[in-house]
Amino acid sequence: MMYFFDGTVNGFLTAFVQAFLDTNALLSSRVSQLPLGQEPITVTTDEKLAARAEQRLCAFDRNAKKDLSALLRSGEEDAEQAAFAYFKLLATKKRPVSRMFSEEAVFRATEILKRIGLEIHRFHGFIRFTECASGALYAPFSPDNDICDLLLPHFKARFPNYPFVLHDVKRKKAAVYDGQNVFVAPLDKADILLSADEENWQTLWKQYYTSVNIPSRERLKQMRGYMPARYWQFMPEKN
Amino acid sequence: MFDFSFLRVYNGTTMISQEKLRILTESAKYDVSCSSSGSERKNKAGLGNGYVAGCCHSFTPDGRCISLLKILLSNDCIYDCRYCPNRASTDVERATATPDEICELTIDFYKRNYIEGLFLSSAVTKNPDYTMEQLLLTVKKLRTEYNFHGYIHLKGIPKADEALNKEAALYADRMSYNVEFPSEKSLKLLAPQKNKQSLLLPMKTLTAERAQFREEKKKGFIKGHFLPAGQTTQMIIGASPEPDGQVLKLSQALYRKMDLKRVYYSSYVPVVQDSLLPQKEVGQLREHRLYQADWLLRFYGFSVDEIVEENENLSLEFDPKCAWALRNMHLFPVEINRAPLEMLLRVPGIGGKNAHKILEARRYTTLTFEDLIKMKIALKRAKHFITCNGKYAGAKNEFAVRGLLAAAEQSDSAEQLSLFPAFFGDTFPPVSERFLLRSSKANALTALTGQF
Ligand code: SF4
Repeated sequence: MMYFFDGTVNGFLTAFVQAFLDTNALLSSRVSQLPLGQEPITVTTDEKLAARAEQRLCAFDRNAKKDLSALLRSGEEDAEQAAFAYFKLLATKKRPVSRMFSEEAVFRATEILKRIGLEIHRFHGFIRFTECASGALYAPFSPDNDICDLLLPHFKARFPNYPFVLHDVKRKKAAVYDGQNVFVAPLDKADILLSADEENWQTLWKQYYTSVNIPSRERLKQMRGYMPARYWQFMPEKN
Repeated sequence: MFDFSFLRVYNGTTMISQEKLRILTESAKYDVSCSSSGSERKNKAGLGNGYVAGCCHSFTPDGRCISLLKILLSNDCIYDCRYCPNRASTDVERATATPDEICELTIDFYKRNYIEGLFLSSAVTKNPDYTMEQLLLTVKKLRTEYNFHGYIHLKGIPKADEALNKEAALYADRMSYNVEFPSEKSLKLLAPQKNKQSLLLPMKTLTAERAQFREEKKKGFIKGHFLPAGQTTQMIIGASPEPDGQVLKLSQALYRKMDLKRVYYSSYVPVVQDSLLPQKEVGQLREHRLYQADWLLRFYGFSVDEIVEENENLSLEFDPKCAWALRNMHLFPVEINRAPLEMLLRVPGIGGKNAHKILEARRYTTLTFEDLIKMKIALKRAKHFITCNGKYAGAKNEFAVRGLLAAAEQSDSAEQLSLFPAFFGDTFPPVSERFLLRSSKANALTALTGQF
């Protein structure tokens, strides 16, 4: 049976409890995954039930809460199902399972978490700010996973004097540092006014990118492996 | 005299010209050291900080990572190193940037998140002291006037005054003097104005100073930084005749004696015509093998003697770990459920991460081949060297193992070349500190060997 929940941690935990004994359970919050012609069970989030489930899972493994909220950020098709399998294993074994790599469920969940970690690491490098006339920095990007707020600590520590906006254009939301506080806000389209020198600096950057390359050693496959083409859209040097 | 320099700070008027940027970048690009790891510099009030794991900001079509803005302050050289495109006797476009141009460029690239910091070097203009003064001025300005706390790697100028080097070390995260060649003979021939002493002495002095600084900082006597990310060096491979064994012996000595963080190997690219130099580019496979061997030295507990004879080259056919295992078949197979970490790390095809995964997983269950497959541990090579719960799944005899390994090497050599993290520097370290398994002091080399 398909259990359709709202994508939140508590929604997941409610669905988790409801689906626990169902050996063919499928969990999803994505409309695109609804099976044709089959009625899904729409799970109504039950905060109390969720809190109890969370408490139990955390009693078996104190990282359970952290792992769950991380897994639900994944853009992978099967992430929610993988989270279900993982926590089902935890609830069955009643002790931490995160290192039991020979278990399929553990392997897959670890894999998904690693991808999120990798993407965060990548965007610490691949984010491109444009400077606005006000001096604020604006970076549009389109990550695979829901990570814009997870990038905040890194950039806040790095640019304490510059207000900046990390705009996830796919999810239409933005992580913001206003010079003092950090928060997340919905943002569809940003209206920006570039600083006077912005285009010149971008031109210099493109020049640098061209000049530092060694053409006789072309290895495009390697470049694409490290910096997948789907990330290029917002990088001046690739446009 | 009143200091008017504040008039130039942050006003956007010292933007370097596109032409100058092109020349000074093209002159710097053959230097492979591009890593930005190892610094934990914290931001106080200005711009930027260090990133302990290092960070790549872009990748160029040659597959290399852009982490630092790698640029020369000037390419106008009085020296005449035979292999260098900037040498005095060639006719190339010359350019010199001002310290402020470099500072502005760094700041504006950095705040757009194009780069992790600056890798500044220079040709020797006028004389070594003058050049070093200009470099020092630039990094000092960047730290104090421009309030930049991002990463700075500074290449030291050989033969410059020691006091200048020491002062520069207070502002830079990392400094490097390139030893260039694994023997003094080659150095004399190809870089006539440099000598062993002028390269090794500043390295030695800075290593000693750094140790002392750290000691006093620990006691709370002093504050600040002194090369928090240490020193590195680089050797050019293939422009001179020294075999890999000699190259690696020197690397090992530099790691153990000079406490260097990295030795970079740069396969020679013939950008200049010279009768003393080969006209062909060295195969990148050789460079790749050197990095693999270097990795074994630093993270897998190997010493050079185990990897290659001093007067020989590394095998191109097998990676250095495979080659070692084939010479030591009497040690294999090892039982995956019992072998100690040191031995797991020596199994071909099992890397640091997987060795630790195996250690973890076998605490819960007796591992079988199926389990290893589920853990996505590649068995193509490893299966010839291990047993799982007593079972062996490799080839019947040594001859067959050899053949299969050679085939494996061929089939993924292209892919492997592109996956090996050589060009990351240590930016995405596949093995973290805890895998560090240096050999004991006892079998460490007692001196810098032979020529150097
Ligand atoms: S000192 Fe030698 S290697 Fe350095 S720029 Fe001058 S000629 Fe080139």
